[in-house]
Amino acid sequence: MGSGITEDVILPTDEELTVQEVPLSGPALKAGAFHLGKACEFENNEFVLCREELKDPRACLNEGKALTSCALNFFRSVKKTCAGEFTQYVHCLDKSSPDQQFTPCRKTQAVFDKCMKDNLGIDRPPYDYFARAHVHKTERPRPPVEGPAVYEDATPGLPPDAPKPPAKYGNRYIWSW
Amino acid sequence: MATGAAEFKQEMPPPGGYKPIHYQRIPARQYFNGWTLFGGYVVMTAGAAYLYYLNCKVVQQEEIELRSASFAIYPMLLAEKDRAFLKQLRKNRDEETKLMANVEGWKTGTWYGEPIYNTMPKDKLLIPRAQEYYVHASFKDFTTRAYISLLS
Repeated sequence: MGSGITEDVILPTDEELTVQEVPLSGPALKAGAFHLGKACEFENNEFVLCREELKDPRACLNEGKALTSCALNFFRSVKKTCAGEFTQYVHCLDKSSPDQQFTPCRKTQAVFDKCMKDNLGIDRPPYDYFARAHVHKTERPRPPVEGPAVYEDATPGLPPDAPKPPAKYGNRYIWSW
Repeated sequence: MATGAAEFKQEMPPPGGYKPIHYQRIPARQYFNGWTLFGGYVVMTAGAAYLYYLNCKVVQQEEIELRSASFAIYPMLLAEKDRAFLKQLRKNRDEETKLMANVEGWKTGTWYGEPIYNTMPKDKLLIPRAQEYYVHASFKDFTTRAYISLLS
């Protein structure tokens, strides 16, 4: 015991933390991954930037909620327009390989992509789109950068104008020629 | 038997004598000389390397695609995980307070009022170790989570 979570640590209440989550399994998430990433690109980047900059899950709850609702809305719209194509693609991903490879499912993927393009206007991004580095513009101010530690009792250095005569006995480094 | 003795005839070499014995090496017919073999090796290796390169490119593309898809859903999963994690932290803290309510001088999250770090801000959230996170759960639940990589 004594995990360091004292009463002074402000933890959000259960009401603040309870939102509707995305009730989908792995293959479905993977099938929709590329279009989801494109549709919720801003929310994704905003949330991950917040998490990486502040390194505190409590500080990014609102960004996370916005992201989850965006993902929910995305999958709702998929269900409304391309449910059949999506389910077919999910089944293919799930059943064709042990680790949900994309390669055996290019045909069902093409059908799904066409439906998404026609109905929702979302193109499938290039295969390495989310593995690239992206620049994200955010409204949130940059967190203060903690500089190097300054100690009161550190050894005082030489004054900047101290004389630096040449070494009396030549080069002190033996292996430096 | 008697007639056999009368017709005896000594075997002799064929007329003109035996043929000379072949003792000289007869080498196999050479289709390629050494330089052609070197050249063939280079050509073969270069061709194989090119095919290997093509294959590698495809495999790499597939890997990148899978990784890219994982990156696309990672933020959503992280947001979900954060919420569940914070809920559990609150549960753990309440559980500890309840469990240690009768202990004299116990303060939740500290060792009898002595914090882990003295210079850390009070509100700083320290991410607990897995063992601490699961301290009020059953051991089986902990091992299930801790060794999940062995199951998949």
